[in-house]
Amino acid sequence: MNAPIRRLFLVSVALFVGLIAMLAYRQVIQAQDLADNPQNTRKVFAQMRIDRGLILASDKMELATNEKRDDLYYRVYPSGDLAPHLVGYSDPKYGQVGLEHSQNSYLTGTADEVELVNLFDTLTGKEKQGADLKLTINPTVQEKALNELQKIGKRGAVVVVEVKTGAVTAMVSNPTYDPNLLATNWDLLNADPSAPLFNRATQGLYTPGSSFKIITASAALESGQFTQNSRFTNPKGSVDIGGFTVNNYPGAPLGEHNFAEAFSQSLNTTFAQVGDQLGKDKLIEYMLKWGFYEKPPFDLPSDEVAASGRYDDGELASPGAPMDRAQVASMAFGQEQLQVTPLQMALVADAIANGGRMMKPYSVDSVIDSHGTIIRQADPEVWKTPIDSQTAGELKDMMVKVVNEGTGSKAKTSLVQIAAKTGTAEVTGRGPNAWFVGFAPADNPRYAIAVVVEDSDAGGGIAGPVMRETLLTALGL
Amino acid sequence: MQRNRELINFLPVIILMIVGFASVYAARSAQMDASSLTYGLLFVGLFLAAHVLLRLAAPQADPYLLPVTALLAAMGIMMIYRIDPDLAAAQTTWLLVALGLFAAIIIFLRDYRKLDDYIYLCGILGVLLLVITVIAGQEINGARLWLKVGGMSIQPGEFSKVLITIFLAGYLNSKRELLATTSWHFLGIPLPPLKHLGPLLVMWGMSFGILLLMNDLGPSLLLFGIFLAMVYAATNRVAYPAIGMALISIAAVAAYQIKAIVRLRYDIWLNPWVDTNDKGYQIVQSLFAVGDGGLFGTGLGKGYLLFSNGEPIIPALHTDFIFSAIAEELGLAGATAVLILFMILCYRIFKIAVESDDGFSKLLATGLGAGFALQTFFIIGGVLKLIPLTGITLPFVSYGGSSMVANFGALALLLLISNRTNREKAK
Repeated sequence: MNAPIRRLFLVSVALFVGLIAMLAYRQVIQAQDLADNPQNTRKVFAQMRIDRGLILASDKMELATNEKRDDLYYRVYPSGDLAPHLVGYSDPKYGQVGLEHSQNSYLTGTADEVELVNLFDTLTGKEKQGADLKLTINPTVQEKALNELQKIGKRGAVVVVEVKTGAVTAMVSNPTYDPNLLATNWDLLNADPSAPLFNRATQGLYTPGSSFKIITASAALESGQFTQNSRFTNPKGSVDIGGFTVNNYPGAPLGEHNFAEAFSQSLNTTFAQVGDQLGKDKLIEYMLKWGFYEKPPFDLPSDEVAASGRYDDGELASPGAPMDRAQVASMAFGQEQLQVTPLQMALVADAIANGGRMMKPYSVDSVIDSHGTIIRQADPEVWKTPIDSQTAGELKDMMVKVVNEGTGSKAKTSLVQIAAKTGTAEVTGRGPNAWFVGFAPADNPRYAIAVVVEDSDAGGGIAGPVMRETLLTALGL
Repeated sequence: MQRNRELINFLPVIILMIVGFASVYAARSAQMDASSLTYGLLFVGLFLAAHVLLRLAAPQADPYLLPVTALLAAMGIMMIYRIDPDLAAAQTTWLLVALGLFAAIIIFLRDYRKLDDYIYLCGILGVLLLVITVIAGQEINGARLWLKVGGMSIQPGEFSKVLITIFLAGYLNSKRELLATTSWHFLGIPLPPLKHLGPLLVMWGMSFGILLLMNDLGPSLLLFGIFLAMVYAATNRVAYPAIGMALISIAAVAAYQIKAIVRLRYDIWLNPWVDTNDKGYQIVQSLFAVGDGGLFGTGLGKGYLLFSNGEPIIPALHTDFIFSAIAEELGLAGATAVLILFMILCYRIFKIAVESDDGFSKLLATGLGAGFALQTFFIIGGVLKLIPLTGITLPFVSYGGSSMVANFGALALLLLISNRTNREKAK
């Protein structure tokens, strides 16, 4: 019997070696991944002993502050549901998201720049303190945009960007939630089909519909094949490309028109033809120039920002993926599995308003240590230059026409000249998603904006006023 | 001679207990009472008493078994003390009971081979305990493993494991030659006549029945695993474990279809990240704890094991998940030390099996050794997410009276086997 017993011992040794190997894998190789997992709250717990830095709006209104109980600092959000998607939360049970997560090293004073100051403080017997964040968010504009969405009772998002700098003035996702009540509402929030925890502004992927015609138009104008005055005719209101029939929306004007009119009246037929002539490579080239197919560089954690582009089965398709003629034509007017985020579309508007230079978006204006010294100050920089200033000017003129004579009339106001492009994307079983992408004032742009409203109407009657009112508040009008 | 070596082997236990309890107390003095340090003293005292008993009653017994289990138990009680000092007091009481049974076996069962005459009694008792649990047991977390007796929860499955191993040792020893005959070959493997597969099918049916009725994977897999190891040792025929594995696969597929708990355990094992706040919570938190340990751990008392209200973050931390706590606070170094201790334990047990000179002793030691190896593998593999989780205790380390008492009973039997072998050799 001794031979099989010895073999059984070897088998048990093999089992133990397997356990040791797995243990080593978990504790050495995988350790960092496990530590970085947002569900892992042990870091947050350890950091609750630190007087965490405040998060302030641009006017120093407190968005996040602390309450001390039993030597531990608990996070309190005085602004409630105003901007939880951007600010995030830091909770020992539910982890960290938003700026609370991505700016954690500043807030806890563990970033190198803060560490030195803290070292002196520790030596002089002071308690360790985190650095404060001053955001670019203007609470008045933020609140206005949120109120506008809540007033119409629709899900959606609004992103407002300062044209010259890329500073985010407002970033709203509706429905919102109150981060002070996470423990009470956690199950409800997670079960809610309207996904209140989800940041629609940076992660929400929506079909752009006609708002994408900006990209197609930029490629058309810069190709030299088309100008604003290029003539088109369309007697039927429909066109057949690659075996696919493209229709205009009901009531769209028929007959002869130029390219600028096709843009302001949002004629799918003309844009399908333009896209067909430009071809897939040209369109993709311009999408890449406009920053599609990559995540916009932003202060939020990378997994809270989505890339815009063509999606296939929920995954971002490769820009080189083959497409047939019908697909190219339908992409040219914003369909064909295109998915974009409100942040991306606000940056598109920013580039047009800013003479072709798309600014890198940011929401953290400065980081201020416990002594009041600014240890980091945002430095506006250009992220992309998708178009030259002449094209930017032409697109601006065309977008002014959209508001004054075309589909964007619902955003028109006598107080300021707004430039915009509308978009409508059909959703099965519900009202369409409506887009307004634009900026104001048209002649000296200060704020670029993207608005998306879910379950909306086709005419822009619901989304248009959200854009107009938010812009007016931003401009102080 | 053997006992002097054993006494020297106790040195690490004493050092570990002093350093361990002191560092836990130092790290958590705010939450602890200094009198709780006496549990540690009592614990060491109990093991020294067991040592004195062996000097008198089984002087030739293996000198490593008791110190290795004492080290494992010390590791366990240190961690339990750190989680909740009151539980450490209870565990010390359990150790007292366990060593009481241990002493009784050493003294009254010196001629343990008499058990061979009572194997059917052991077998029936083992099965009866399981049946009573199924009928009168109470469900905790969906599993029916506990029996409530006079305000205490006992886990009869732990005793059944030892009793059924005794039965199998006697039964397989007597049927050994019959079962080892081969009558045909398949893929070059010599196979026994089909009628001799009877015991295999009976054990398989019983294990499957346990799974269905007790609603837990652990005891069922453990029992069948022990049986396969013993039948292989008895017959030296690979066919038995091979057919046994095939039967496990069939049972696994069937169990997945009909038992929600099996489905849950398997699905959570495949991907716990889809439901980290509910179903996947326990295993995910275990992985976080293990990962946090790194090479050398956070230090005793310094890990993130408890919420601020003293509740453990990982449910069942002091029982099934005690290894996660060790891995967090003592790191790869400490947790590997625990695994090496188990390996040494298994080595000594299999050595006892090889050196003993009769079939019953060999099979009994093999069965108990395989039981410790498999139980350790199932629960540690489970908390590390190497295999699906099965709810069983980590022998000698986890908190729990039944587990302590049954395992120290098994330890006493092993010491008696080695005592007899060495005594015979000396003659």
